[in-house]
Amino acid sequence: MAEDKKTTAKPSTKPKNDILGDGEDDGDLILENQRVSIALTPENAWFSRSGGNLISLKIINDKGEEEEFERVVVLRSFPVTNPDEFLSVREPDSKKQGRGKEIGMIRRITDFDEATRQLLSEELDRRYFTPEIQKIMSVKDKFGYLYWEVVTTAGHVTFVLNNPFSNIRILEDGRILINDIDGNVFEIRDPANLDAASLKKIEIYL
Amino acid sequence: MRLMFDLPERENAVLSAVVHEGEKLMYCIPFNILEDKFVSGFIAITNKKIYKILDDRLLAEYTLAGAKDFRTEVMYGSCGFYADFGEGTTLICQFVSGRHLPRYAVIVKACEILAEDQSRDAPITNSERERFCPKCGRPFVRGTNICPYCLDHMEVYKKVFALTKGLRLMMCFPFVVAVFNVIFQFVVPQIQKIALNNYILNETTHGRADKMTEFVFIVAAIVSLDLFHRALAVLQSRLSAITGNKFTLMMRTLLYEKIQSLSMSSVQRKSTGDLMGRINGDVNVAQDFIVNQLPNLFVQVFSFLTGLVVMLVISPIMALFIFVPIPFVVFLISKFWKSVQLRNRRLWVLGQRTNHLLQDILNGIRVVKCFGREASEIARFKSASVKHAAQNERNAKVFDTVFPLLGFAIKLGSYFILMYGNYLLFNGKMLVGELHQINSYANIIYAPLMYITFIPRNISNFLTSLSKIFEIIEENQEVADIDLPIDIRIEGEIDVKNVTFGYESYNPVLEGISFHVNPGEMIGIVGHSGCGKTTLINLLMRLYDVNEGAIEIDGVNIKDISQNALRTQIGVVLQETFLFSGTIRDNIRYAMPHATDEQVIAAARIANAHDFILNLPEGYNTMVGEKGYSLSGGERQRIAIARAVIHDPRIMILDEATAALDTETEKLIQDSLNKLTEGRTVFAIAHRLSTLRNADKLLVLDKGRVAEFGTHSELLENKGIYYKLVMAQRKMAQSVIEHQGIAN
Repeated sequence: MAEDKKTTAKPSTKPKNDILGDGEDDGDLILENQRVSIALTPENAWFSRSGGNLISLKIINDKGEEEEFERVVVLRSFPVTNPDEFLSVREPDSKKQGRGKEIGMIRRITDFDEATRQLLSEELDRRYFTPEIQKIMSVKDKFGYLYWEVVTTAGHVTFVLNNPFSNIRILEDGRILINDIDGNVFEIRDPANLDAASLKKIEIYL
Repeated sequence: MRLMFDLPERENAVLSAVVHEGEKLMYCIPFNILEDKFVSGFIAITNKKIYKILDDRLLAEYTLAGAKDFRTEVMYGSCGFYADFGEGTTLICQFVSGRHLPRYAVIVKACEILAEDQSRDAPITNSERERFCPKCGRPFVRGTNICPYCLDHMEVYKKVFALTKGLRLMMCFPFVVAVFNVIFQFVVPQIQKIALNNYILNETTHGRADKMTEFVFIVAAIVSLDLFHRALAVLQSRLSAITGNKFTLMMRTLLYEKIQSLSMSSVQRKSTGDLMGRINGDVNVAQDFIVNQLPNLFVQVFSFLTGLVVMLVISPIMALFIFVPIPFVVFLISKFWKSVQLRNRRLWVLGQRTNHLLQDILNGIRVVKCFGREASEIARFKSASVKHAAQNERNAKVFDTVFPLLGFAIKLGSYFILMYGNYLLFNGKMLVGELHQINSYANIIYAPLMYITFIPRNISNFLTSLSKIFEIIEENQEVADIDLPIDIRIEGEIDVKNVTFGYESYNPVLEGISFHVNPGEMIGIVGHSGCGKTTLINLLMRLYDVNEGAIEIDGVNIKDISQNALRTQIGVVLQETFLFSGTIRDNIRYAMPHATDEQVIAAARIANAHDFILNLPEGYNTMVGEKGYSLSGGERQRIAIARAVIHDPRIMILDEATAALDTETEKLIQDSLNKLTEGRTVFAIAHRLSTLRNADKLLVLDKGRVAEFGTHSELLENKGIYYKLVMAQRKMAQSVIEHQGIAN
């Protein structure tokens, strides 16, 4: 991988001086200024609350230079199976530059101190908003759509599901993920913990 | 799409308390997530500020002036609306994606405008469709504007009625048969009663052979009634087959014609599968309902009601015995039916999964073998099959218990009758014939119950299918000819004036495109993927209408030219060379079905296709397409070129026409392209810049705008994007040569 990057970067750096001149305006035509993702640790990365109440980051990059980002986005590599490890810290997407590039990766959220963990969790919880279903009031099947009324950790909600057999996923560890028609994701962490009446209403779909 | 929701009273009070003089409410939209809870809040946007309101609280307010970087970010299961109000990016609100993402995308644009100019007081509007019923908030049936909950049933029935013109007399017949059917059902037990009471069980007739002649009449009456009944049934099934066919044929043709005449944008919004489903599946559902279900429904309801009335007349007490278990039976049937359906569906899904898995593994058999994963794939398939088998077994168990029980439930009424009837019989208040008659009537009343419980479901299926059909039939043509379109003979001068276009209006793909092309010029269109090249071509062919600006051909706006005149004078060669099943000759003549053989050969010669076609065993009559002779990519491409030039188009469009070919073949085709571009205005898209070396001018698109426009040498001198592209490709070519050098 690292070698690939070098070979693509080389030819573009050489002619830069004599031909390309102000190569700023159209960076993605030829791959230049490719960012190298680094491992983020408490020794080289400092997260803080941004002016807009989101996350700012200061790092020491692979060239040993200090770099600051007004806002970064944190993504989970394995949101379903391994939410607290391999967190990707990225620049936000932008209209000018397109997809945001990865600044670095956090191996484990527990590598960082309590305050940072809190800050990161806040962003992650918002981004991966997955209310847990605690009680199922009713599930009605009408015209091929399922109308659910449930109590979740995020409150009492109704939602609509189509195609229950593909939108209700049972994971290997027994958790159930439900994707509704609006794009919401609901979770049943342990079906065995649901009360009997709730379980009975969804049994047929499992 | 709705951009102005009504604020409830409480929220409205909050807003009016904070709004200043001269502030005008422009947009008001919901948001639904706050921290870790679902909420029902509103974002109210005036020409000066953004207010975030939840219940009776103002959560935040932001000043629009000077704000920048408005955006939506798609997250997992929800989206965020962000902007920078001078202190870095801030999250304004979080919302459920499916319902509101398109809405917020428009709001982003609206906010950008307001941030620059607060004096603007006309809100922008958006014609995008809502995906949710505005009345009840429930989702529409996918890809449609139909809310099964709010569907106006009468409206649909009226439309169906209008469609059945010419079939109505035939469609009435089943109802006539139905009425007779019911009469028959009730008259036969009456005759049977007479036979039983007066002859079979009557002591006075026993030993009197002369009574036999009377009895023969009775039997003859029953037999002839039966014969007549069956004759009618035969006639009815024949007629219904005919009406059904006619109805289906009519609907299919109507739908197909409509789909063909729809504009590209409406067709593209629906998938091929969905359209095929409507032409085949939904028409079948409608046909089945009209031809089979409706008369059957009539028979069942009619005989049920007649039965009730007759029973009430004969014996009110008996009628009561029949009525009492009905609600219970209906309840049981609907309950069991639901479970039966769910189980069947579940079995079907498991079956599908197994099939899918099988298909997946067989398709990837090389990969499986390469990685030596046979054992685990066998296990995976086995576990799926085992699940399927287990479900099948469970279903069988349930069904085998449920159906006999249901049968028992349906007969419940007759046990009551038997008891009470015999009580009357033993007390001498009733004769056997009457008992038999009443028992027959009870069966007539109970038989339709099973059917009647399914009616709501049948009707709703029918209505949904019908409205899906009508939605297409009634769809407006978005790209339509004006009232008196002009048929012009195109010279080939093209003026693109400040054109802006997006497939969704809030997300423009092309912005402010302007350029001029002289007749006979070849224009190469360059830019990286996603910059709008193909979109520009689509606009030139008027597959879509521009949102702003105009495209003129020979000084006439293309909206004023008849689509037929326009398209018959434009020839197109696409990257994917789709050949229809048929002969080469048919394919070349596609755009001009009456072309002479001479013209076919001439077109093939221009396309450099003549020689290879003659080397095929059947020449121009060789079958190609799915089941035909398999041609190479280059050969197919040359046939596509011949197809494009046969009607001598004034404007040629080549969209990546040679991208999929090797250099050798490309050279051949390049050669043929050079021939056909003579004297025509040509637009050519190509990644390989060498393909465009004959272009008079090059149009470089970048992020939806014209970045550069000029001749090859002008652009090279300019040292802009085109220059970079040329250099990059040269380098690539060089490095390939170098590598080959090493390899050799």
